[in-house]
Amino acid sequence: MPDAKNDVNNTRRFLKSRLISDRASFHGYEAERQNIHDLLERTAEHGESNSALLLGPRGIGKTTLVTSVLAELLSKETFYRNCLIVYLNGLVHIDDRLALKSATAQMNLENAVDGKVFGSFAENLAFLLECLKAGDRKKSKSVIFLLEEFDLFCSHHNQTLLYNLFDVAQSAQAPICVLGVTARLDVIELLEKRVKSRFSHRQIFLLPNEDDFDGRLELFERLLKLPTEQEMRTIDTAHPSIPSEALNNEEFTLLRGLFNPRQFSFSSRWITQWNRHIDKLVENEETLTVLQRMYDYDVLEGPFRMLLFELVGNLDEEHPTITVDLIQKLGEEYESDDKVKLLMGLSVLEICLIIAMKHHSEIYDREPFNYEMILTRFSKWANSSSSMKGIERPVVLKAFEHLKQLEFIAPVTGGSLTKVQKEYQIHRLLLTHGQIHQAVQRMPLLPTEISQWEQSSLV
Amino acid sequence: ALQQAAGTPKRSIQLSNIVEEYANGRRVSRVLKLSPKKPDSGTEEPMEEPKTPKRSNRGSLAGSATKSTPKSASKMRLIRDGTIKPTIHSRDAPLGNEMNELAIARERLHVSATPASLPCREKEYEEIYNFLEGKIYDGCGGCMYISGVPGTGKTATTTAVIRALKHLSEEEHIPKFEFVDINGMRLTEPRQAYVHIHRQLTGKTLAWEQAYNLLNKRFTTKAPRRTTTVLLVDELDILCNKRQDVVYNILNWPTMPTAQLIVVTIANTMDLPERLLKGKISSRLGLTRLTFQPYNFRQLQEIVMARLVGMSSFNSDAVQLVARKVAAVSGDARRALDICRRATELADDQARKTDQSVTVSMTHVQQALTEMITSAKVRTIRSSSRMEQLFLQAVTAEVARTGIEECNFLGVYSQYESLAAFSGVSVPNPGRAMAICARLTASRILICEGGSNDIYQKILLNISTDDVHFALQASKLL
Repeated sequence: MPDAKNDVNNTRRFLKSRLISDRASFHGYEAERQNIHDLLERTAEHGESNSALLLGPRGIGKTTLVTSVLAELLSKETFYRNCLIVYLNGLVHIDDRLALKSATAQMNLENAVDGKVFGSFAENLAFLLECLKAGDRKKSKSVIFLLEEFDLFCSHHNQTLLYNLFDVAQSAQAPICVLGVTARLDVIELLEKRVKSRFSHRQIFLLPNEDDFDGRLELFERLLKLPTEQEMRTIDTAHPSIPSEALNNEEFTLLRGLFNPRQFSFSSRWITQWNRHIDKLVENEETLTVLQRMYDYDVLEGPFRMLLFELVGNLDEEHPTITVDLIQKLGEEYESDDKVKLLMGLSVLEICLIIAMKHHSEIYDREPFNYEMILTRFSKWANSSSSMKGIERPVVLKAFEHLKQLEFIAPVTGGSLTKVQKEYQIHRLLLTHGQIHQAVQRMPLLPTEISQWEQSSLV
Repeated sequence: ALQQAAGTPKRSIQLSNIVEEYANGRRVSRVLKLSPKKPDSGTEEPMEEPKTPKRSNRGSLAGSATKSTPKSASKMRLIRDGTIKPTIHSRDAPLGNEMNELAIARERLHVSATPASLPCREKEYEEIYNFLEGKIYDGCGGCMYISGVPGTGKTATTTAVIRALKHLSEEEHIPKFEFVDINGMRLTEPRQAYVHIHRQLTGKTLAWEQAYNLLNKRFTTKAPRRTTTVLLVDELDILCNKRQDVVYNILNWPTMPTAQLIVVTIANTMDLPERLLKGKISSRLGLTRLTFQPYNFRQLQEIVMARLVGMSSFNSDAVQLVARKVAAVSGDARRALDICRRATELADDQARKTDQSVTVSMTHVQQALTEMITSAKVRTIRSSSRMEQLFLQAVTAEVARTGIEECNFLGVYSQYESLAAFSGVSVPNPGRAMAICARLTASRILICEGGSNDIYQKILLNISTDDVHFALQASKLL
């Protein structure tokens, strides 16, 4: 049935693009959102100067919050005609020089022609400051400075850019709003005291709700359900279109290529069928267990979206629905230990070396070792074993080096140790004993004598 | 010392140029080309540089003229001449004046709305005024050093004095004078101070060597009918580099009888001249000093009330609470004003919700204070996932076990395993535990080393163990 096939593919595409590119819709945190909204609106429409910081753990949705507020505001003519948005990112603008060039180009000042800024760093700074000084609260456009990865701006020389931005915000010049976004909670302590004094100390924290598993289930439903026609209409009203005139800033890309649910269309029968299926899924006991374990581990929305993306990627004609099995598989994968998996792929000789290292570190309480020590320990056992006799020294060294490249062991770094011959370089074992034990237990086709040797260091 | 001073800048031209060129990522060879310079042309660098293809974003004129559009080159020249005035785009329509009372209060409380006369700084005002007026009358030079922690009204008082003097001189009560102000933090490097001073005197932008030469000529040669110049140097400590040539020159010019230069320097630390400056420089700075004390709560209250004169929107007890809280921490007037402003916003929100006029009361101020003074570490711990909470608990357990604040991951992990067994949850494997550790580090609840040390990395708790216990009291895992 080509129609059903079409529906599945469409659904997958819809869900994937909603998980990835739906940056303009933000749920929850009404008070915080309103706070930012008012802050930006007052800057643009009443010419007030402000500075604020948006703080919260990585993956909570700080950027999404700002994007959704801007998407709402930019659709209003009074907003976009009266303000300029300058977007700076601490990972891109790694020093004040780059940040200033970019800001000048984005504000389209007199010394920028077609996005290229001329003049030296000192001239650019002087010119930007004079432009802002020439501005006045009533007549000039407001400028919204959006500084992402704000903590990285604090490491710039003298914090010149921050000082000047905050200083403009605290003096009678062109109205600007400095909005810093960062994951570090102690970012204020990074500011110099004069910069700190000029910052207005508005901190908006975005923290996940305490112990909110029901919220997680709601999120699961919201991210996987298809919108009904009625919901589609509310989406339309909540996301008014942004005039292209408002988005002519080339560096501000957050609002480009946004998710548009109108691109996809489903038959209403399919929507009800799919949604009913998701409802049933949420009531399933096994699904709940998997989700609860994931929630115990990580309460943030960002990583959870990525997991769902993996889940949705499995949909195709043969698997038209999300099944409990798929979710359980995802949960298993989520909890599995990658290092154990890697260990299970080693050759028998290499696993023997690992066991020798394990015995060594058990006996000597994790003292570092070198190749010779491990070789001696291994040979002692190998001579009495039936299958590992007569392995030559270079072969064992090769295996040892392979382990080093896989970073199961790492050389101890320190002053004069690098000049030592490679057989005598000392290493540390980067595995816990539990991991080695697990791997040996699970390894297929491992000779019994090896797994017995693993149990006890006595030969 | 005087000869030495005359000697230093000559050499520093080439030396520092090399440094600057490196900093710009340019080749050294350009420094050699720089030396044959025509001082009469207003351009910065007479250029014949065919080798660098991307010139247009650097400020060289003749060189870029061939590559980039002539428009940008000529525009740059106009900017450097001061013909193009820096402007910012203007709004669609100027803002109107209709505002409710809270909005007016908010506008008056903004830090930028400096009042004509600063309350509680009358004595300091008097002192600076007498100093400057005396120097201007006598037509001689001098220095003054003003210090105090941020937000105590140093710059505001000084500029208020100068405004008053300017006003007097316009009415010809006192001799005319010129006023120049520079701010150390607005310069990319100390030597740019020359450029800024020169630009404020003439309106032209030059390279700093030329600016220095012209300034030196201006201040060291005799000229009849020279007017006095008042130079305000804010953030003096930023101008101090290792060589301290800029500070030296700025403080040396007033000692010349020809200069008629009065320098007022502002910085934060009281003992900056002794701590940072060389002996000959602190000797030139002299002993005319003034310290701005942090505001106490009465003064802060007076400052806020002075801005709200004739308004009934603020409860006076609320103002007192702000003043007392801020005075106990820093005595920073900016902080007090910002908190009051936030309180008006909160009141505004409430007014919008309840649809009736609201005055700013104690509760709004209390809310604003908690918003702006507290840190959210305890809340962050409370809202983190159960596994993260368990990990934090393991860290505190390990700290308690070893008695040392720094613990390593392996030790924490074994505590983690036993704690997990105790509370009946399955332990995440070491890799995942490390991811938890990295997450807590990203929000700086923990401090730990990079990943190259893997399971041997050191972990440090960034908050007190008591805070962790307090935060986890209500947690289900305990």
